[in-house]
Amino acid sequence: MRVLLVEDDATIAAFVARGLREAGFAVEVAADGETALEHTRQHVYDVAVVDLMLPARDGLAVIDEMRRRGIKMPVLILSARRSVDDRVKGLQAGGDDYLTKPFAFAELLARVQALIRRATLAPEPTTLTAGDLVLDLLSRRVTRGGTQIDLQPREFTLLEYLMRNAGRVVSKTMIISRVWEYSFDPQTNIVDVLVSRLREKIDRPFEQKLLHTVRGVGYVLRAEP
Amino acid sequence: MKTAQGAAERAHRPAFGLRLALWYAALFVGGSGVIVFMTYWLTAASLAQRDREILGSKLGEYAAAYQRGGLRALADTVQAEQRTAPERLFVRVVDRGEEAIVLSQPEGWDPEHLETASLSLADGTLVQVGKSTDARQGLLARFRAALGLVTLTVVAVALTGGFLVTRSAVRPIRRLTRAVARIISTGRTDERVPLPGGGTDDAIDELTRLFNAMLDRIEGLVTAMRGALDNVSHDLRTPLTRLRGTAESALVSPPDADRCREALADCLEESDRVLLMLNTLMDISEAESGALHLNRDAVQLGDVVARAVNLYRDVADAKSVVLTAHTPSGVAVVGDRTRLEQVAANLIDNAVKYTAAGGRVDVEVLADHQRARIRVRDTGRGIRPDELPRIWDRLFRGDTSRTERGLGLGLSLVKAVVEAHGGTVEVESEPGRGSVFTVSLPV
Repeated sequence: MRVLLVEDDATIAAFVARGLREAGFAVEVAADGETALEHTRQHVYDVAVVDLMLPARDGLAVIDEMRRRGIKMPVLILSARRSVDDRVKGLQAGGDDYLTKPFAFAELLARVQALIRRATLAPEPTTLTAGDLVLDLLSRRVTRGGTQIDLQPREFTLLEYLMRNAGRVVSKTMIISRVWEYSFDPQTNIVDVLVSRLREKIDRPFEQKLLHTVRGVGYVLRAEP
Repeated sequence: MKTAQGAAERAHRPAFGLRLALWYAALFVGGSGVIVFMTYWLTAASLAQRDREILGSKLGEYAAAYQRGGLRALADTVQAEQRTAPERLFVRVVDRGEEAIVLSQPEGWDPEHLETASLSLADGTLVQVGKSTDARQGLLARFRAALGLVTLTVVAVALTGGFLVTRSAVRPIRRLTRAVARIISTGRTDERVPLPGGGTDDAIDELTRLFNAMLDRIEGLVTAMRGALDNVSHDLRTPLTRLRGTAESALVSPPDADRCREALADCLEESDRVLLMLNTLMDISEAESGALHLNRDAVQLGDVVARAVNLYRDVADAKSVVLTAHTPSGVAVVGDRTRLEQVAANLIDNAVKYTAAGGRVDVEVLADHQRARIRVRDTGRGIRPDELPRIWDRLFRGDTSRTERGLGLGLSLVKAVVEAHGGTVEVESEPGRGSVFTVSLPV
């Protein structure tokens, strides 16, 4: 999977590129719009991550130009502006998703992967597994080592989300928007409460712990220690 | 900036005022010209008419005399008459033998300046009477001179009047342009365009008043935004100091991987808090100054509250706090759904946070014909009366609330957002017994 990263801030470009490479992507970085367009002439990318504030030619113009040349790859917009209008403008210009700075890298990665999934229309799995934990999406049954675990709907949604992103850290903001469909951070420990309840059911009775807290970042479901 | 100044300079050029004055003068002079011309023409025509009438009546007289006593009687009549008449007429008779007999001829007469009339008598004799037009022309010449003088006066009055009228009409506009130019060049929005005294109430005054009102509004926004910026920069210093301190102390202590990781995690959490604080402070400031963008729509208050209660269900359960919701359908307000959800969530968050195990939080939506209300009632620790008025202040945290985590911005945001919706929020509280927060929104 090839990612084109268009970002003029060297530090941000470096940490995003490193994170994406660690997640298994091939990353090409362009520091300005012209270079980015040059890259798209020579290579085909699966997804582009485009910052809006670029020298010379801004991100919206770059996306517009790519779309006019018939390049259809999904585009994730990065922007320091957080108003609804800016978001709408970005999506109208041909962006597929919008992420406001500053962002958690985990969230950027999740969105990039979601864009690729949407673009490639990968077949939906019917079961998700992590170690001996199995979640059946059709019957909505969860078992661990053959033992059935009863989950409330919200716990199920959270576990499904964590298992779809197994091995990757998901932030509290991502969980809130996924489980409660809230777009703002309610500044409270509602995620902690739900996570500890889920942990109580899927981890506590078992030797190997699957659900880990990454302090300051979020949570990760990981089968290997 | 350049364009605006250019426009202001263009407006200062006299072209507009001069044009207005000239138009005014041209119209005035044109109108007067028509009147003068008509007067002259009517006078000249009526004078000529009078002369023709005099000649006609004389002809009648002479014809009667001729019929009575022939040429002899006519000559006598003419001579008798002309001796006493103030103005001598020219009279001649042409008989059938084509011989003209002049009976009277004024001295120094000029055949060119003669108005004549003639009458053919029964025997074919022609009587001709002439009257000098000199007197008439003289009268008309004096009349022309008088009219010329009048016209000159009219032109002078028109130009002066045009200039004065234009100046007084353009003056307020000039005043307005000058004020605008000054504001543009100095950036001082506290400048106002002076209103002329005298209590006149015309279109320009109205424009000036509206312009000043617009400046009031702009100044209010600018001041509020400036104040907001000051507050935000001030409020962010403390968490940024913590952030910096954490990183610094980790760097100066002896290298230790675990402690460094701990410090990094602290930094990350602190920076998230800074971001949350920044966003919330911006929201509050924008809402207070009226700059907050609200996506207004018909919103079912019951849905809003049900969703917010749902968000805190697990937290309340974990704390053994009973959380109930009474959310009747059909209570709709016009507002921003996300912002109202934030209001409800913040109030429930507070209530759950400050209510101990075994307590309860009851949330209900009420409505009468004018207001829709969200009431959040808890059996928590309550708020001391001396702290009650200050709970809406940004970053205020009561003595007993410091043990709970939070930014101290939740209630400020609630108040700012509710007021941006044209509503009010009230609190009643009794320490040890609990608090009741009531949001009231116009239906």
